[in-house]
Amino acid sequence: MIRTASLALTLFIVSIFLPGSTFAGGPEGKKIFEAKKCGACHQVEGPAKEKTIQDQLAKKGPELWYAGSKFKKGFLEAWLADPKPIRPLEYNSITKKNDGSHPKLSGKEALDAAAYLMTLKSSAVKDGAVQPKDTPKGRAIFIKRQACYGCHEVKVRGNAAGGLSGPSFVGVAMRLNPDWIYAYLTNPKVFKPVKDMPDYVGILTYSEMRDLAAYAATLN
Amino acid sequence: MPNFRYRYILASIAAISLILLSSKASFAAAAEENYKFYCSQCHGLEGKGDGPNATKSQPVDPRDHTSAAEMNKLTDEDIINSIADGGAATSKSTLMPPFSETLTRQEIAALKDYVRKLCRCKGK
Ligand code: HEC
Ligand code: HEC
Ligand code: HEC
Repeated sequence: MIRTASLALTLFIVSIFLPGSTFAGGPEGKKIFEAKKCGACHQVEGPAKEKTIQDQLAKKGPELWYAGSKFKKGFLEAWLADPKPIRPLEYNSITKKNDGSHPKLSGKEALDAAAYLMTLKSSAVKDGAVQPKDTPKGRAIFIKRQACYGCHEVKVRGNAAGGLSGPSFVGVAMRLNPDWIYAYLTNPKVFKPVKDMPDYVGILTYSEMRDLAAYAATLN
Repeated sequence: MPNFRYRYILASIAAISLILLSSKASFAAAAEENYKFYCSQCHGLEGKGDGPNATKSQPVDPRDHTSAAEMNKLTDEDIINSIADGGAATSKSTLMPPFSETLTRQEIAALKDYVRKLCRCKGK
């Protein structure tokens, strides 16, 4: 009796500390990820590997090794079952439109794969650092001082406006974790050492990046 | 003996010019590679100001780098400053972003030379 109880306890403790083992679909999701060969296009183990422009251009899809820190779970669950273009242009292209032909999962598979992706966390993201907030400061940096909309699509009075080379910011509020946006701006070398977006560390202060992340996180 | 020395000198000249040639080639490739990766998204692959970010909704068009008339208004220093610190550095639109934390001073200088090649102009 005691032995079974202590065995169960040990198993329970081990299961907490094993990476990727959660109760809700993590292991199944990992199996789906492997069976569907998602890893052919997505990196699921950190740290970032790209060092040169050539390295970046050789990639077939965005990194997912910090997906659990980057995305909102509900977004992943819905998107994996019904993927719609996030980047207006094809990945790594500035001439071709994104035709939205991403592999699609069934409802159950999407839930499991999302649960697995949510286990992929980065320690460089601090929980609770940023609350979504539309402040005049954040808005002014996004629109005037740095014109982030130059490469990111936004909605202005119901119409799409802005640039197309970066991921669309329409629906960021549903898609991205505000804490991750702040971490991405403050630690560009950790998440994306080579990208066609400029680094703003040294140009904007951390407090300005916090306002900016809070503002971006409100975009619908 | 003198013959040997002559050959040695010839060989070193060949080696040095090879090194010079190849470093010049990689320098040119680097500027073009940087331009296509960082600048073409707005300025277009050929620099005509027609990259995918030049959408109708944008308040200002990216500079046409092939226009000598436009580019002649700028000094080399203006070009370097606008690439490093963005449009604000030359009192232009902030839609031109700052690359001082992304590219090195040498890369920015090489991009200035590349842009000058596109406009075939020297500036003021
Ligand atoms: C042929 C390459 C390829 C395969 C295979 C692939 N993906 Fe993707 N994936 C992409 C590309 C390209 C994007 C960017 C799509 C966009 O922006 O609309 C993407 C985007 C994503 C995103 C959003 C990431 C982000 O940063 O915006 C997730 C999550 C994702 N894929 C999960 C999966 C899963 C799960 C599988 C396996 C079922 C899979 N992918 C298979 C290429 C691929
Ligand atoms: C010159 C174009 C450009 C400008 C200007 C720009 N970005 Fe980006 N941004 C990009 C590109 C391209 C990516 C995608 C990088 C990648 O993953 O390869 C990106 C990615 C992002 C992401 C991650 C989005 C995701 O879903 O992966 C965030 C957040 C972001 N940018 C915020 C900003 C903010 C805030 C500003 C203004 C300070 C800004 N960007 C200005 C081009 C730009
Ligand atoms: C997000 C879009 C964007 C990106 C990326 C971009 N530019 Fe620009 N650039 C512009 C816009 C818009 C203007 C015009 C500003 C104005 O007229 O007010 C401009 C203007 C310029 C000018 C003229 C500045 C002046 O004072 O008249 C130069 C030179 C220039 N860009 C070089 C570059 C180089 C080199 C790169 C790549 C490292 C680059 N740009 C990347 C949008 C961009």
